[in-house]
Amino acid sequence: MSAKRAGLGLLALGLALLWAIPLAAHPMDAANAGFVQSVDGPAPGPFLYLGAKHMVTGYDHLLFLVGVIFFLYRLRDVILYVSLFTLGHSITLLLGVLADLNVNAYVIDAIIGLSVVYKGFENINGFERLFGIRPNTKIAVLIFGLFHGLGLATKLQEFMVSSDGLVANILSFNVGVEIGQILALAGVMALLGFWRTRDSFATYSFATNTALMIGGFLFAGVQIVDYVLFS
Amino acid sequence: MANANTSVSPSSVKKILLSTFGALVVAVALLFGAILPAEYGLDPLGTGSLLGLNALGQEQPISTQPGEYRVDSGELSLYPAEWVEYFYRLDEGSNMIFSWEANGPVEYNFHAAPDGAPPGYAESFDAQAQNSGFGTYTAPFDGIHGWYWENVGTEPITISISTAGFYLSVQEGRARASGFKDLTDLRGNPIPRQPEN
Repeated sequence: MSAKRAGLGLLALGLALLWAIPLAAHPMDAANAGFVQSVDGPAPGPFLYLGAKHMVTGYDHLLFLVGVIFFLYRLRDVILYVSLFTLGHSITLLLGVLADLNVNAYVIDAIIGLSVVYKGFENINGFERLFGIRPNTKIAVLIFGLFHGLGLATKLQEFMVSSDGLVANILSFNVGVEIGQILALAGVMALLGFWRTRDSFATYSFATNTALMIGGFLFAGVQIVDYVLFS
Repeated sequence: MANANTSVSPSSVKKILLSTFGALVVAVALLFGAILPAEYGLDPLGTGSLLGLNALGQEQPISTQPGEYRVDSGELSLYPAEWVEYFYRLDEGSNMIFSWEANGPVEYNFHAAPDGAPPGYAESFDAQAQNSGFGTYTAPFDGIHGWYWENVGTEPITISISTAGFYLSVQEGRARASGFKDLTDLRGNPIPRQPEN
């Protein structure tokens, strides 16, 4: 038990540090935002890059990904779940920008943070043990995909000024998001795959999902503070 | 399907509750204890001053500049097909504010050459067919920075320009766009204009 506690503490610390590093990178940083603002016409290369960067440096997306594939051992399942997530966020990203949906970015991001909590809670069998229900995980992943996409759309709209080449740029951004997701996924799967062969995986998987919940709560908390202060 | 693969050891309700509320408490503690002081300049628990985090949350609205403050303004006239270059010597990080307006069609280019660059080398930052410009400039490197204006109309024009900032000197160089353009070295050798009759 004390070893578990120690592991939990370390993981929480790691997550807290993880939080600090991409802080500046997650909302588009100033130079990138300046570029997006100046874009007038299709610019597939830069938007591809920005989409991938957003996914790889956004720790909310990464934590969610870790939560989703934590107990997926078969590649087939990983592909299925990630495809559902991709389907969800592609729909809202495209619709959100094209239909000019204006949603408060902080609210969406808080929901995204809570989606990480949800996934961690599900991974420790919280729904089954506490409420006696087993939510459909596929539908949940699809729904959270929709929210993640709406978050991306909101952020992109904050910066996009010109409507010239809009569709091409959003599509490029979305493809970039996929590339970033595959890159992040490869890293997460490699680490998890290695870790699963060790005894410590069984020992610390509960603690890791607790740490995931800390990260999700923290992200949601920061968004709520931003909402209170800046909205 | 995901839950079928779950291999977390059977957890008691108590453990799950402890874990979930524990996560919430840790997150709230980190948020109020560290993130609010360090990122937002708020210190509700006094931990910011205790850990020295408050300074991280304070943005400095003032930045001091090297060099001397200068203000220059004037008018320059250009005959058709004539061009002029205005160069400012700025060190890296120095700022200037500018405002210029031409009363006829001009082509301009704001460009800069770092010290030690080969002759003729310049980085262009802004080039448009536009008759005015207002803004600020922060030098990305030590060197000379400034405008090239060319009268692309058929009438003589006047350009009014004002600049203020931390540049060390201003230089002007000009020639007729045809003929002398490629032969004239503009660095530090202003050529007085001799209008032809």
